[in-house]
Amino acid sequence: MKKTFPVGAVLTALFAASFFIVPLIATFYFSLKMTRGELGFAAYASVFNSAAFLNTIVYSTVASLIAILIGAVIIVPTAYWVRLKVPKLRPVVEFISLLPLIVPPVVLVFGYIRLFGSNSWLPLTSSTFGTDLLLVIGYVVLSMPYMFRAVDNGMAAIDIATLTEAAESLGASRLRTIVTVIFPNVRAAIISGAFLTFSISLGEFVLASLLNRPAFGPYLVQLGQDRAYEPAALAIMSFGFTWGCMVLMQLFATKKPGQRWLPRFAQRTTP
Amino acid sequence: MSFLSITNAVKTFGTNTVVKGFDLSVQKGEFVSFLGPSGCGKTTVLRMIAGFERPTSGRITIDGRNVTDLAPNKRRIGMVFQAYALFPNLNVFGNIAFGLKIAGLGKAETAARVKEMLALIGLSHLEERYPYELSGGQQQRVALARALAPKPQVLLLDEPLSALDAKIRVSLREEIRAIQRQLGITTVFVTHDQEEAMSISDRIVVMNGGRADQIGMPSEIYNHPKTRFVASFVGTLNVLKAQVDRRNAQTVTVGGKTVQLGQAVETADAQGNLSLALRPEALSLLPSESRNVTFDGTVRSVSFMGSVIRIRMDVGDEAISFDMFNSPNLAPPLIGQTASAHFASSDIFELSA
Amino acid sequence: MTLDVSASTADLGAPAPRTRAVRVTDWNWLGVTPFFLFAFLFLIGPVLYLVVGAFQNAEGAFTFANIIELGSPNIAASFSLSIRLSLLSALMGAVAGLLLGHAVILGGLPVWVRNAFTTFSGVASNFAGVPLAFAFIATLGRLGLVTVLLRDLFGIDLYASGFNLFSFVGLSIVYLYFQLPLMFLIIAPALDGLKTEWREAAEILGASRRQYWQMVGLPVLTPTILGCFLLLFANAFGTLATVYALMGSGFDVVPIVLFQQIRGNVLYNPNLGYALALGMVVIMGVSNTLYLILRNRAERWQK
Repeated sequence: MKKTFPVGAVLTALFAASFFIVPLIATFYFSLKMTRGELGFAAYASVFNSAAFLNTIVYSTVASLIAILIGAVIIVPTAYWVRLKVPKLRPVVEFISLLPLIVPPVVLVFGYIRLFGSNSWLPLTSSTFGTDLLLVIGYVVLSMPYMFRAVDNGMAAIDIATLTEAAESLGASRLRTIVTVIFPNVRAAIISGAFLTFSISLGEFVLASLLNRPAFGPYLVQLGQDRAYEPAALAIMSFGFTWGCMVLMQLFATKKPGQRWLPRFAQRTTP
Repeated sequence: MSFLSITNAVKTFGTNTVVKGFDLSVQKGEFVSFLGPSGCGKTTVLRMIAGFERPTSGRITIDGRNVTDLAPNKRRIGMVFQAYALFPNLNVFGNIAFGLKIAGLGKAETAARVKEMLALIGLSHLEERYPYELSGGQQQRVALARALAPKPQVLLLDEPLSALDAKIRVSLREEIRAIQRQLGITTVFVTHDQEEAMSISDRIVVMNGGRADQIGMPSEIYNHPKTRFVASFVGTLNVLKAQVDRRNAQTVTVGGKTVQLGQAVETADAQGNLSLALRPEALSLLPSESRNVTFDGTVRSVSFMGSVIRIRMDVGDEAISFDMFNSPNLAPPLIGQTASAHFASSDIFELSA
Repeated sequence: MTLDVSASTADLGAPAPRTRAVRVTDWNWLGVTPFFLFAFLFLIGPVLYLVVGAFQNAEGAFTFANIIELGSPNIAASFSLSIRLSLLSALMGAVAGLLLGHAVILGGLPVWVRNAFTTFSGVASNFAGVPLAFAFIATLGRLGLVTVLLRDLFGIDLYASGFNLFSFVGLSIVYLYFQLPLMFLIIAPALDGLKTEWREAAEILGASRRQYWQMVGLPVLTPTILGCFLLLFANAFGTLATVYALMGSGFDVVPIVLFQQIRGNVLYNPNLGYALALGMVVIMGVSNTLYLILRNRAERWQK
């Protein structure tokens, strides 16, 4: 069989590549045009100098980090327990963890507002703290499918049943086992899930907007209505940020427990 | 008149020459096996016949027609793959009918032919089943029926039994041979299992390192191996060091005994050393008239293998192994005992190459 | 390794098991309680509240009025718009993703091309929402780079010929940026699963390339393609931030309508909001369930 040059495939790949790259180039170019007549980083400077930017991004970062923490604390022991003690519940837990994929954020936050509103049995929305809490919980719920899958895969990769038995035969209590044996070994999986959560939560719009919190997402939308060049700069930064998160997520997803973070630079000689 | 002929086929992948000049002439209705270890090039030659690999040089003709440059879908060849390769979206009927549908055969004729094929492989009751509902052996039989349905000129089988259990392997290979005989279709069968090749082939091509070391009938290959590789790959072999008599090239000294060979030695080196081969079944603990040579030695191990007992014996500084039937009248020797193994001088032969 | 709880209790002697069994099971269930509590409080609970509320009126009595009002011209138009947009977006994504997948995986291109697209797709499928809208405004907006280049270099005035980024068609092009990668990522393993032996077997039986694709390749891929189409549909249906950032609140897809309802920017009728939410959950639930069914079917074949 003669090998002919794959013209069709090359054209398709080129077309797709340009569809992906051209908007990025265009956005970057646009973001450099703030100063009339020349290309410069004025838009970026304007963004970083803006108090609103700093405040909202700090708010969103903190909210995301807390969401990651809560998510890990709820999901890791659950995944561990399901694997070890109640494997029959596994399909149920898995199904629940996937439910957020069919509940759009707008529906979720609507439910929160009605169920935890000012006239309800648990008026969380009446206080700022309560609303912040709701926002963070919303992020935990939205990231649940990804977090659960990451941790579950991580636990599947190490044989936690045997690890638990080994720890217990050496005298460790259940809690101690979780903290000192299980957690470190699934740490990489947790971090991997964390990066995905972070990337979802940081620019999240719907929950933040409807709960009226000063988060990064609503700030972005407002900026888009008010300004021309700064949104482009933010879009580029956002893309770079998402890229970074994905890369790190992949890195941690494939990292084995105990694997070195950096390659060995110097060889240690044994005495 | 050869039906399928391969002339000086060579196949190179980059810098690696996988097939180094292969010639073969297959008669119509013949069943030929390509036998050899992994990497010897047997599958590559088969794929060249099928048309999935283009020979770097050389020619392939089928029924007088040069097919070397012909696309696989025009060669009218049937092929059975190691991994069955049944189409998962079609049931058994659909799979077998595939080639007929492509050829444009009418509905009635297709149905008749498929039913015929199903009867041939004995799976008429599984017509509606899908591949994932079938066992490995059943899938392979359907694959065979699918390949044969369009009445191809040549049938190729690429290690079709390797993925199956041992028992099924044996029964299925008999079935394949029986069907092939019934249809009289020219067949090439690739395998690495020498027992498989010997039991069902008209001729065997033993391949090694991209070349055909020997082509011949199973008995010929077994009894008169041309190269050391063929001798050791097909069946077990005792290889013994020997010394040729300076004065008489037909006399050798081996295992401390002097043996008269049927013909002059050809492969002795300058010091007169050479290697001789002896099949285990040529040796026996029982003397007889025809077995005129005796090796004396010490028994090293006795392995009970059911109907056969395998004995390893040290003769001088060589080790030989031979089999004896598990007979109630003849007790096997004990380890450490001295014993005598007898064989006919005509059974020991020279190893060339 | 699974620990069979029932087995460990069955080993006990006859009289004791009942009490022992209950205690052991209780202790195990306790371990997953936090998760279930959390899920009920903050996921299942709120959704159920809305679902129940959809069938109630302001006084709390059972009624179908809200469901019926979903059929009112405005709401029905919203659903129609959402469904049409999601269908178009899913179709574009499915076709484009399949073509790209075929080109990159089966087209004979070097492996690094596939890896590059896979990595990029992982990022792009998450790059939805507000920044994506900004990026496309900078590209295809009235002053976007591509618009300007087409006008200055090729003399094609995009907006004069009727194109508008801030429209149904424009929106579906923006959606493609995250739909195409998603399709590519999901279809890639399915394309890998197309065994080369199938193609060779088809070829040796006389089939041309087209016949192979028609009779084997596409039929085998169809469950995955359909499943992915449904996934893309659900994905598009639930998108809000991208639409909002691009079109403002005026483009009446269902999520935006609900958004406005919650904001209180329209005549506030929470029960109607519940019905809208119910409609959304039903549509998303049905499409995702069908996706899972089709995915299982496909996996069964790829044995």
